[in-house]
Amino acid sequence: MKKSIVCLLVIALFVTIFGAAGAEDSDGKITVWAWDPSFNIAIMKEAAARYEAINPDIKIDIVEMAKADVEQKLNTVLAAKTTEGLPEIVLIEDYNAQKYLQYYPGSFADLTTKFNYNDFAAYKVGVMTLDGKVYGVPFDSGVVGFFYRSDILAEAGFKAEDLKNITWDQFIEIGKTVKEKTGKYMLGFQNTDGGIMRIMMQSAGKWYFDEEGKPALIGNQALVEAFELYKKIVDSGIAKPTNNWNEWVGTINTGESASVTSGVWIVGSIKAAKDQSGLWDVAPVPRLSTVDSKNASNLGGSSWYILDKSADKDAAIDFMQKIYAGDKDFYQTILINNGAVGTYLPAATGEAYSTPDEFFGGRAIYEDLSAWMKEIPPVDYGIYTYEADAAIMAQMEAVCAGTMTIDDAIKAAEAQLENQIQ
Amino acid sequence: MGKKLSMKGWLFISPALILLAVFLVYPIIYSFYLSFTSTKGIISSFVGFKNYIRLVKDPMFLLALKNTGIILLIQVPIMLISALILANILNDRKLAGRGIFRTAIFLPSVTSLIAYTILFKMLFSFDGIINRLLLSTGIVDHPLEWLTTPKLAVFVLILAMLWRWTGYNTVFYLSAMQNISYEIYEAAEIDGASKTQTFLRITLPLLKPMILFTTIMSTIGTLQLFDEPMNLSQGGVTAATMGPGNCFLTLSVYIYNLCFKYVPNFGYAATVSYVIVFIIAGLTVLQFWAGQSNEEKDAKKRLEKEGKA
Amino acid sequence: MKRNIRVSRVFLYLFLIIVSFICVFPFYWMIVGSTNTPIQIIAGKMTFGSHFVENFHTLFNNYDMLRILMNSLKISGISVILILLIGGMAGYGFQMYKSNLKEKLYGFFLLTMMVPFATLMIPLFKIITKLNLLDTHFAVIIVSAVSAFMIFFFRQSFINYPTEILEAARVDGAGEFRIFFNIFVPSMKSTFAAAAIYSFITSWNSYLWPLIVLQSNEKKTTTLLISMMSSSYTPEYGVIMLAIVVATLPTIIIFFAFQKQFVQGMLGSVKQ
Repeated sequence: MKKSIVCLLVIALFVTIFGAAGAEDSDGKITVWAWDPSFNIAIMKEAAARYEAINPDIKIDIVEMAKADVEQKLNTVLAAKTTEGLPEIVLIEDYNAQKYLQYYPGSFADLTTKFNYNDFAAYKVGVMTLDGKVYGVPFDSGVVGFFYRSDILAEAGFKAEDLKNITWDQFIEIGKTVKEKTGKYMLGFQNTDGGIMRIMMQSAGKWYFDEEGKPALIGNQALVEAFELYKKIVDSGIAKPTNNWNEWVGTINTGESASVTSGVWIVGSIKAAKDQSGLWDVAPVPRLSTVDSKNASNLGGSSWYILDKSADKDAAIDFMQKIYAGDKDFYQTILINNGAVGTYLPAATGEAYSTPDEFFGGRAIYEDLSAWMKEIPPVDYGIYTYEADAAIMAQMEAVCAGTMTIDDAIKAAEAQLENQIQ
Repeated sequence: MGKKLSMKGWLFISPALILLAVFLVYPIIYSFYLSFTSTKGIISSFVGFKNYIRLVKDPMFLLALKNTGIILLIQVPIMLISALILANILNDRKLAGRGIFRTAIFLPSVTSLIAYTILFKMLFSFDGIINRLLLSTGIVDHPLEWLTTPKLAVFVLILAMLWRWTGYNTVFYLSAMQNISYEIYEAAEIDGASKTQTFLRITLPLLKPMILFTTIMSTIGTLQLFDEPMNLSQGGVTAATMGPGNCFLTLSVYIYNLCFKYVPNFGYAATVSYVIVFIIAGLTVLQFWAGQSNEEKDAKKRLEKEGKA
Repeated sequence: MKRNIRVSRVFLYLFLIIVSFICVFPFYWMIVGSTNTPIQIIAGKMTFGSHFVENFHTLFNNYDMLRILMNSLKISGISVILILLIGGMAGYGFQMYKSNLKEKLYGFFLLTMMVPFATLMIPLFKIITKLNLLDTHFAVIIVSAVSAFMIFFFRQSFINYPTEILEAARVDGAGEFRIFFNIFVPSMKSTFAAAAIYSFITSWNSYLWPLIVLQSNEKKTTTLLISMMSSSYTPEYGVIMLAIVVATLPTIIIFFAFQKQFVQGMLGSVKQ
């Protein structure tokens, strides 16, 4: 009998020992959650090093996770309404920002008076504004470029001029010639991926919702054309099918595909294949032809948010003010090292932007990209971008296979979206 | 059993009891309550049975139900039958090198779900080893889009699951078979029974409880299937569907999406998860009922007969 | 007749060799991959390369693999001990001290196996934060120590134990816990070994729960590392393959070391 008590005591002891060693609020430590080691993490490390040099009392702990994992943990922590385990700073993708702000009220620090938001690109500030209050620190731009292999396209008979300000239909025709003459694919493509669709939509200043945030898929001509283009891309055989991000990047790095149309943040991945230096060039993103559309668009991009109830909130704000809204040299460095185009306007000019990039055949690509950034039609992403994406892409397979008309697909997608967001 | 002794039994059970109550029973009850609420982030309201009604009209849920059902109906029977056959082969004492074969077949079970899914994703990528092999042997004349065509993608998922779990179940069967006395088999052989007859008449009936057990465990596992489809379909930052045509959208993946990918609705997610509970409960009862009816008695009778022979 | 048997024997071996090859091939491939560069892996190179040292350096220097490995070992090791202790005792308690109420409880516990983990996540997370256990390895350990399946497994294995031995010990005046630890456990070694291997592999490979409760870099486990690496935008396949090899190695070693007991233990659990 005594032994049983001893036994239970041992277990209790176990619990308390480990419990005591548990999470304590350690002051002077700013925790950051972010994803992508070669981009966001590397940039945050640079920022941390700069801040720690000014303020040695603060330690910045950058926790690296997969993007899906950051979102999952943030949801879990916020939903549990605890203040334990909150990071000070978290990276949130622009498409998702409103969702967090609206459905976790009071969770994010109101930064309206802490930063001068005129210093940031207006379309980024809009994404993080709710009821007139601003909740984040704008970070990278997702300005889209049509990045291509100048050598492959030259082999197929295309000069840089031929690729400027084209439409997607022209893009597909060029792709067919490339495939015919060089045997290379024009692009790596995943027909379940909404990325290209979102690029096309935003180039026309359209999105999946109307002003009141209601689904607006039916009667959306930009969407109809995007659907048609997806099918054309698949049918024309110019795209190498890829199943995931890694394979998709792989098609560029192995030289199998002649181009990639994506956000500027893809430059880091393009440059990973060092043997292709000098063989790349960039042109503005193709536009739609049946609606009013520009040769400028956006894909992705994210911003930093500060958790209101985190232990070292004030230190985190100071950190963001000093580096992300003050250190111009920092933005030059991350542009050169990581290809990050910041949205802090006072730092959007300077040597780093006008320096010719050898990898891109000596073109000062960031000068071009910053110019295109100003042309991006602003759209309100609303809160249900991923729901809409899922609803549309669920029908894409049938459309591409030719078993469903685009009209029916859009109707089905809208019905599903209505159900999803009720 | 004396009362005092029974009381002492509680001491043995109590640590487990306390832990289960805190870490299992409470969360179960709490999430059952959640299934009657609708939440958007931390904004929550009690909606009664509305979530359950919503299910019936939710195309994504119905699709997830269908996908899970398909995987369950194809993968579990193939896996268990293969495991039975393998176990029967490996149970032969005259088989040379059966230790090596047994180890090889069990080996996949030690890999983590994430690790083997990543391996399979790479094996079956557009220019992965499988496509190279098929091309070089002339079986196909152009690479197959394994993971971008819905049917092929499901095929790969099932194949991967078979690879990982068949050996696992084989070990269970093998253990159960080794409990069957060898004399019974010898007697059967003397009586002139063929291998197939012995398998069907002796091994199978005696293995019934084990088959029931593995069927229930596999059913539970498949209905909760998450890691494999999630990792096979991960499409980087911009993926909109779970695999081509949403073919990897299983019930657990849908729950995950409802919680973390979309505007988080933990209430509705809890409702979906309780649907899984109800289905599992229903199937378990069904399997018990099917497993116990006539077979049990038959096996006993046969055992007596064989024993006498 | 004899010849037929011999031919069928050949086919049987051929079949087994093919099955074994399929089972083992991915292991060979990942070991080979860990010695190659990403480009070589994408190109389908199937032979050993010269990049092992480089991959090794990246893994252990850039990703702090050693610490992560130790974290996983610590979590799995303590989990196994707790599962054996708590689960073993509970299985023993349910089997050897039967009572009506206990049977009902037991049935209820079996039912809990049907609840998907996704259901429990949010409430569990709340409990862990209330207990001040967030971002501790113990939060992972304590939740994996609660396994209805293991209690079921233990009880199932104990069914055929001859209770006369226990009675005899009682007559000799031994206390209940002494009987359990000194007489019962030593005679059920292989059951405990099987349970140890099973729960070690489960705990070692767990993903979703550690992902939620572990926050800081220093606390990460091997599965979390692999998941993070493979979702990187510029994946280093060679390093990922090596990470998978390193992460799989402990489970393989444990399995080989205790294989015999494992099979015996499984055997015990299914005796009817």
